Amino acid sequence: MSEIGFPVKDLSRRKTQTALTIIGLTLVTAATIFLVVFGANLGFEISYFAKEGRLTSGFTSILFLVILTISILNIITGPILASFLVRLTMSERMRDIGVMKASGCLSGSIFAYFFTELSLLIFFSTLTGVMLGVVTFYVATTLLNTAGFSISQNLNIEIIIVVSVILIVFSHIFGASPIRQAAKAKPTEAMSPIYKLKTTAGLGKKLPSTLGLPFKIAVRNLFRRKSVTTQTIICLTVVLTLTTVTIAGGTVANQTTVSYVERAVSRNTVLVAHPALADHYVNLLSRFFEEKELEQLDYLAQALRISESLVSKLANIEGVTGVDPRLILESPVQEVPGIVPDPVDQTGAVLIGDSRSDEALILGIDPEKVVNDWLIFGRKVGETTQEGTMIGDSLAANMFTDSLNQKIKIFENSLPYDIVGVCVDPLNTGKVVYMPLETLYNALGESGYNILLLQIDSSEKQEVISQIESEASAENLMVVELDPILDKHVTYLGNIWSLVMFLPIFSLATAAIALLSYLMLSISSQQHELGIMRALGAKPKTIIRIVFSQALIIILVSGAIGIFAGFFITFEFLIYDPVMPQYALINVSALLLTILGLLCLSSLYPALKAAKKTIAQAISEI
Amino acid sequence: MKEKAVVALELCRDFDIDDVVVEVVKNLNLTVEEGEFVSIYGPSGAGKSTLLNLIGALDKPTSGKIVVFGHDLATYDEDFLATFRSAYIGFVFQSYNLISTLTALENIAFVIELAGWKREKIKSRSETLLKLVGLNHRSNHFPAQLSGGERQRVALARALANNPPLLLADEPTGNLDTKTGLEIISILEKIKDEGKTVIVATHDEKLLKLATRSLLLKDGRLTE
Repeated sequence: MSEIGFPVKDLSRRKTQTALTIIGLTLVTAATIFLVVFGANLGFEISYFAKEGRLTSGFTSILFLVILTISILNIITGPILASFLVRLTMSERMRDIGVMKASGCLSGSIFAYFFTELSLLIFFSTLTGVMLGVVTFYVATTLLNTAGFSISQNLNIEIIIVVSVILIVFSHIFGASPIRQAAKAKPTEAMSPIYKLKTTAGLGKKLPSTLGLPFKIAVRNLFRRKSVTTQTIICLTVVLTLTTVTIAGGTVANQTTVSYVERAVSRNTVLVAHPALADHYVNLLSRFFEEKELEQLDYLAQALRISESLVSKLANIEGVTGVDPRLILESPVQEVPGIVPDPVDQTGAVLIGDSRSDEALILGIDPEKVVNDWLIFGRKVGETTQEGTMIGDSLAANMFTDSLNQKIKIFENSLPYDIVGVCVDPLNTGKVVYMPLETLYNALGESGYNILLLQIDSSEKQEVISQIESEASAENLMVVELDPILDKHVTYLGNIWSLVMFLPIFSLATAAIALLSYLMLSISSQQHELGIMRALGAKPKTIIRIVFSQALIIILVSGAIGIFAGFFITFEFLIYDPVMPQYALINVSALLLTILGLLCLSSLYPALKAAKKTIAQAISEI
Repeated sequence: MKEKAVVALELCRDFDIDDVVVEVVKNLNLTVEEGEFVSIYGPSGAGKSTLLNLIGALDKPTSGKIVVFGHDLATYDEDFLATFRSAYIGFVFQSYNLISTLTALENIAFVIELAGWKREKIKSRSETLLKLVGLNHRSNHFPAQLSGGERQRVALARALANNPPLLLADEPTGNLDTKTGLEIISILEKIKDEGKTVIVATHDEKLLKLATRSLLLKDGRLTE
């Protein structure tokens, strides 16, 4: 028989197995293609925000890292799943391979026959999978865009080709391994049902009788089919790790970025300033989520100043818990090169920096009175000396090589100032410089404040705000509550993360496909034995319990490892200083448990199918 | 007067294979009394296995009636039939049909566990049966590690595990050499002596001689 004729006939005669493998591989390929193409466009969408200067560098780096990690995990998951399905279907051919060898067929011919079969399955499934993935991508993005998002529908052909090639190559490499193994095996070994399953008598022998017969049979089945069981657990573990990283990573990243903003803006804070400056400050703070043109403003104009007497009056209002007077202005800033140890020759030193310059918002603060609590890399300005400055994350990322080892010049021809810390701050999208008021006064040659941040007691908020407004209006100043602006920041971040969180739906679908494919193929191979069990008196519900218990054990083991690995990656590598409030942890846990529950439910389908088959039909299947 | 173990009336079983209806069992009538050893013989494809499947409640007739120990099998649901098989039927298949992931002992124990016996009794009963078929030294071996004769002996021990009143054996010596076949026949002889009802589908002359009644199944019908 020709090398094409045999594989085609073999595949067409095993209709159920072939269909299941093709469906499984197609869906896995489609899910991978969708995730990669969608993820890339989501990445573009997010980098678009960053390019426009809306997100600060700190936030962009978190987004980038999360999306990068999810994409890498997806690309790993695809070939693993594809290879797993191929291995599964090829291990089912072991007996035939043994029979062929026993009939005198050469090992080389056997390998060629089954490798051609493998190639046919892989190429056909990859082709249909790519088409399905692309269609799903267009449908999903169209639906999301209709719902208000603006995701690009660019189809990156290069990515599709690369992913397809990876899937094809890895599926061939992993799929060929059991064929090679079978071709090498002795005919008697290959024909033995326990050889391909790597069955050993010691496993699952002594089980407590309280577990019940179906569970005991399920445990024995899994242990004694340890080769397939191990592969399934590895495969599901990878998928569930990906799902956990996406869900937990997305949630933690959302909570963490929200906490960065809340720390930088501070809750229960009001701004007191001249109406023009108050409006300007709000716009600077809102640049993070909406772009606005800013008018030129003379920050140091006397009309914008706040008197010492008003500061004292406001500080004395009951319910005002913090008074943070600031002097703000815009100014050009310049990078000052620094000298750091040579990373190659530790005894030497190298000059870093490129004397870059930009416009930034300069804020003179009283370090003792600051009401907010930024996330700071390095140390807070004014903590030990009055001389240093603290710069925003975007300024540090875009204008410095190693900001904590460099200095900054503020105003033309000013002295260079040390940079003691880098803070994550949405104000002016992170292009800010904080310095002690005294230092700023010395540099400017004048003193005073032009904005005032007041921290107020939340229990009597409205009453306190009324009193502040009454005092401020006497000096023609305006009071602005910052909480609504902070809420807009939080909503905006939530929208971005909801886009990222869209990915787990497909991870979940991939996990369900992996499990279903395993169960369907595994049950089709067990159909005969399940039929024997029924012939011996096992009720249909006993068969359902056996199959369900097998799925449950696999899901629980894979879930425990995968979820632990997912949380470990999220908390240890993905996000710096992660924030996970208890309610978010409960939500994530509930979601992951729901996913495991859905996976368990999905296993009921093959279980019911196995139980419904007539006994005579099941027994006659080999 | 002896009770009737099996009564088949106008029994028919058709199979639809690629849109072609094949009538395997045609208006078949049969009565087997308790304690009888009946052998059914006939050419391959005559419907011997199908008839045993119908008697053993593994399959349902297309039409007609099959009553086993007073139970009209067509009227029951799957759950009842499972319990019925467990309590009344011991089945020995030509291709042994042992569960490949269970050891010889576990294959026997499985049937007893299904019937809800206590753990200690399951173990002792399984060991006794394995000893009866002379395989107590192979208790921890998987079916694939046993010879054809040994597998059939395990299958026979399994069929007797719940002490069923009716033993159905489909070509029990069909895959075995003469010596091993004789070992199986000698076990079946003991079972006959115990007064169990046995229906055997076979081509084996020695088994036919052992039977109290032999019936020829040809073209879906039985003749004495």
